[in-house]
Amino acid sequence: MKMIGVDVGGTFTDLVLSDMTSGKFAIHKVSTTPDDPSQAVMQGIVEICEQNAVAPSEIEYVLHGTTTATNAVLEGKGAVCGMITNDGFRDIIHIGRHQRPEHYSIQQDIPWQARPLIKRRHRKTVPGRIVPPTGEELVPLDEDAVRKAARELHAEGVEAVAICFLFSFLNPAHENRAKEIVAEEMPDAFVTTSSFVSPQFREFERFTTAALTTFIGPKVDAYIAHLDSALRNLGMGAELRIMASNGGVATPKMVVEKPALTLQSGLAAGVLGGGWIGEQDGRNRLITLDIGGTSADIGIIVDGKFTETDARSTSIAGFPLMMPMLDIHTIGAGGGSIAYRDRGGAFRVGPQSAGAQPGPAAYGRGGTEPTVTDANVVLGRLAPQDFLGGEMGLDVAASKGVIGALAEQLNLPPAEAAEGVLTILNANMANAIRSRTIQKGIDPRGFALVAMGGAGPLHGAEVARMLSIPEVLVPPYPGITSAMGLLTTDLKYDLTRTQFQLSTAVDIGRINGDLTAMEAALTKQFAEDHILPEQITFTRMADMRYQGQGYELTVQMPAGEIDAAALEILWDSFHAAHAAEYGHAFIENPIEVVNLRAIARAHLPKLAPLSAAEGGSREAAFERGVETMFRIDGTLQNFETAVYRRADLPVDEVIPGPAIVTQKDSTTVVPPDATFRLLPSGSLLITLGEPK
Amino acid sequence: MSQRIDPVTASVIQGALDNIAIEMGHKLMRMSYSSIIRESEDFGAALTDESGRQLCECTFSTPLQSGPIPGYIRNIIEVTAGRGDELREGDVIMHNDPYGGASHGPDVAFAIPVFVHGKLIGFSATTAHHLDIGAQTPGSCGIVEAVDAFAEGLQFKAIKVYDAGRRNEPVWHMLRANIRAPHLVVGDMEAQIKAAQIGAERYKLLFEEYGEDTFRAACEDLMDYSEKLLRDAIAALPDGEYSATTHLDGYLDDIDPSRHHLPICATVKIKGDQMTVDLTGTAPQVDDRPINMPFVGTVDCAVWLTVRSILLDAVEYGAIPQNAGLTRPIEIVAPKGCLANPTFPAPVIARFCPGNQLADTVMKALAQIVPEKVSAGIGNLRIVALSGLDHSNHWVHMEIMEGAYGGRYRKDGMDAVDTLYANTRNNPIEDIESHIPVRCDRYEMHDNRCVPGKWRGGVGAVREFTFLSEAGFSIEGEGHDVKPWGFDGGAEGIPASMTLHNISGAEVDLPSKVPYFKVRAGERLICEGPCGGGYGDPLQRAPEAVLNDVLDGFLTPEMALSDYGVVISDGAVDLSATDKARAAA
Repeated sequence: MKMIGVDVGGTFTDLVLSDMTSGKFAIHKVSTTPDDPSQAVMQGIVEICEQNAVAPSEIEYVLHGTTTATNAVLEGKGAVCGMITNDGFRDIIHIGRHQRPEHYSIQQDIPWQARPLIKRRHRKTVPGRIVPPTGEELVPLDEDAVRKAARELHAEGVEAVAICFLFSFLNPAHENRAKEIVAEEMPDAFVTTSSFVSPQFREFERFTTAALTTFIGPKVDAYIAHLDSALRNLGMGAELRIMASNGGVATPKMVVEKPALTLQSGLAAGVLGGGWIGEQDGRNRLITLDIGGTSADIGIIVDGKFTETDARSTSIAGFPLMMPMLDIHTIGAGGGSIAYRDRGGAFRVGPQSAGAQPGPAAYGRGGTEPTVTDANVVLGRLAPQDFLGGEMGLDVAASKGVIGALAEQLNLPPAEAAEGVLTILNANMANAIRSRTIQKGIDPRGFALVAMGGAGPLHGAEVARMLSIPEVLVPPYPGITSAMGLLTTDLKYDLTRTQFQLSTAVDIGRINGDLTAMEAALTKQFAEDHILPEQITFTRMADMRYQGQGYELTVQMPAGEIDAAALEILWDSFHAAHAAEYGHAFIENPIEVVNLRAIARAHLPKLAPLSAAEGGSREAAFERGVETMFRIDGTLQNFETAVYRRADLPVDEVIPGPAIVTQKDSTTVVPPDATFRLLPSGSLLITLGEPK
Repeated sequence: MSQRIDPVTASVIQGALDNIAIEMGHKLMRMSYSSIIRESEDFGAALTDESGRQLCECTFSTPLQSGPIPGYIRNIIEVTAGRGDELREGDVIMHNDPYGGASHGPDVAFAIPVFVHGKLIGFSATTAHHLDIGAQTPGSCGIVEAVDAFAEGLQFKAIKVYDAGRRNEPVWHMLRANIRAPHLVVGDMEAQIKAAQIGAERYKLLFEEYGEDTFRAACEDLMDYSEKLLRDAIAALPDGEYSATTHLDGYLDDIDPSRHHLPICATVKIKGDQMTVDLTGTAPQVDDRPINMPFVGTVDCAVWLTVRSILLDAVEYGAIPQNAGLTRPIEIVAPKGCLANPTFPAPVIARFCPGNQLADTVMKALAQIVPEKVSAGIGNLRIVALSGLDHSNHWVHMEIMEGAYGGRYRKDGMDAVDTLYANTRNNPIEDIESHIPVRCDRYEMHDNRCVPGKWRGGVGAVREFTFLSEAGFSIEGEGHDVKPWGFDGGAEGIPASMTLHNISGAEVDLPSKVPYFKVRAGERLICEGPCGGGYGDPLQRAPEAVLNDVLDGFLTPEMALSDYGVVISDGAVDLSATDKARAAA
């Protein structure tokens, strides 16, 4: 069984080839081709197969992380979209929640007003109205009006249509019928409904999610079809699976129906990769910190479970997106982040980045701003001979020049300024991790931090120390963790149904009926991809809140028939979840079940475990001694630091810091008061404070 | 600027403070019960030092809630000392006195004094707008005929609801017995207390982590920093005095002419890096109607917010620390006894829209010196309170009707949004209809109604509601008669209106203030929002932009010609005909 994981990033497309039978594992990198990302994907597949003497036809699965949908939204280059909605409600996606994104700004642009996904001219209204609490029809759908609207949209050159009616989450009949009519009138258009995309209450967020779906739909559809046929042209019979934001992979058919599933494709793969790394070494409480050139992505794994965002906390390019997603927090902090003294005299780092062009001054490509990478160079943590295996080199004098200029502006010695750049960046990342852990009742002291991305291993130990996290894991290939993560997941698809049921008056029949219906629909969906019912496992979740609250917490539900006893367990789990998240439970208050969700998974083969090469020794790995600077007990001091080649390290030997461990795609920094060892799994384990 | 500690530590402590305030707000919003807090986000969270100077605020709460917290704290300190009482570890203090720092009575604060080694180091506080505070009619807005402070509901002047950790039960019993919807209101208050307690714990840990000297030095540096940003921006303005006047509708249906079209005057005086905002000329207070504005808690926040939003616009400056330093360069003057500085017990509960009009007036004064940083006149807001009885229990719902911004330099005005010092959120229609006996029949922007300018005014929204059972409603608003100002050749904006369609078929035009009014099932309320003023000469508006407004249904081709001199035919601009029309205009 051979599989390829291929993850498209901004600069590189990373590939991993794994033979589950023999345990063979290979990696490869090619430059991303932004105009048509499938070119780099195909080139990478051809090359990695050649390099490892594997025929493309032997590959059984290609698992793919894509940025096609994300880029379309970020760049505002999507389809010409139309909407059909209720009479009287033409502008739900324009008015939004009538709140300005910035409190203190007259000149701000409101994303949905300045860059509408669907222009007002293409938003048509038709009679018809569904009402709560049961989804009863108050006004019948005017089918002629729908047909007329579709004809107008067609004449206006609209390529994709979102059908968005109030209360469709209670009763999708009007949306479904309108979709049929539009499909008849516009057979070539991409058509979707808000209840299909996200059957949950809150019309602005749901309609916007549907609008995003139409905006990216035709592009994703074309990309997947193009890629699939390119694979076939290569003589490959491999199944194509696409990484979804919910942490599972989806079939091309699923992605074409719900393209918004892929809006955090690559990010989700990164967190999965980090989770897999931790699992290899028996750790299931993990914080993944993936630091690249411009941003840091943070994911949290509690007892082996990936945390998900609630429906109200996700957005892309300023637009709310109401879909189940892994909770991945991104901040503007990376190796290219620019350090500066702002006009009030404060010392700031990021979120502006020098990017790859011109990049940090150290790259010698004309960068003149001091960056995080330059600070690492000045402090001796990053050396020219180690960076990308020495292939690219680093201009140390240029780094010293830009950091020196910053130091002068700040009236600090150059080394203090350099160390300050790192401290501020690390504090920004530590704050971001706090917002996802301590603020949600999770104590990071019981966690391990997985330091990933090209720059993660440079900063991981110091970020961990700020949070009193005792351990840092550095994966064998920190730069390709996303591509590896693609090979660690299952096929996953989920459905949601809104309930609005109170614990004081539960209709158990309805709960069981909805769960059964959703599970049957998922079974059918998988059957279309030739997956047998016995290969599927189901999980059920309930989004709940105390009656009157506006935010839900998600709790797992028992399997099987829900009876009174199962409900008691459910209420208790909600109280416990509320107490854990907010520090308090309101035991006497009625609980409202807002949504039920059914999640189906079908098993896919996984990456075989990796192992460290035997036969290394500390002496063999020792490359040189260098002077580096660290702050210990409040003062910045010089330390004689050993530089080790990672490939030659001994397994399971504890080595004291300070140390620098080099490998082609990353550099790991071990501070003076930490130790590290190479684990049999191939990961490095840094232990902070006293070694255990 | 001399710095007390290194800039790295200052930056790290600032991030930590912001993080604490965000956590407080996050938890308050998620734990709370009433839609005014959880959906509208009408709450605040902040930390102060031991004298009440603000150190940070929650970035996603509403400015009119976090802004007043220092005023609440200063008065709590004063009142407690005046009673010969002292603050103790474990105290939780409830306060809502609009003559003692509160923004108005419904905005109740819960403040927790924070102690380290027995010494007071500061306060953690949350504020929130409560659904009901025991005023004369249901709900806590639209109490537009309160005749004095006592008619506005319960007054809590630094009341310890926890005294050194012991819950003061009698206060809670009294509270529950004197407000409507006590279950929701007390649930929200409990959430406020929990959030303030979390803030207090985190504050204490941060203080201990860095030690007193470092922490205090960082706070002083951060306040100096924010102060310097604003001083530098003021210093860049030409010295001089710049005045503007706008008007409140007041009580349009009142037979006493002194109660309508009340002037609000602002003179911005720039001298070096100091600014004075002098409100002399503003109408005298209305002794027995609650549109007076607390000087501390409403007027000061309106001024600070406006100056900051214009001179330190977040688009240009990014996020800057919101702390006491930002208030130092600005002195506010308002003669005692005017609308902007009333004397107790003049009522103030309906000060929301007047305060936003004051903010707009300050912007109008600044427009003379920073025309590229302001908008033309804003369309003000209206709040509607809806209420009814369900088996002897009240339901209460409040909805803020959005306004619209005026046109801006190089940009059209923002459409259908909360304006200036207010930045709450609407309630989803799917939430409203699921929880109260009201149907929403319409919520969209005006068709073929927008205000001409080179950059046009923002377009307002229309909402229609049908009552499904007997209910009451009241309205507290502005801008049914007074028009948003146009700027630099732009047209004046379009006022708002509200109409009641009753079941007998009559249509009643409502003024911007309507006290509690009973309606029957089937009656409908139609709320037409205002359109902001235009900015610049409409004849200079790009013809393409005019065409887009026609295609999007904001203008008819006839309006394009009459308002802008742009000739549209067959869905395209006729350029030569346009040139002729514009030359002839």
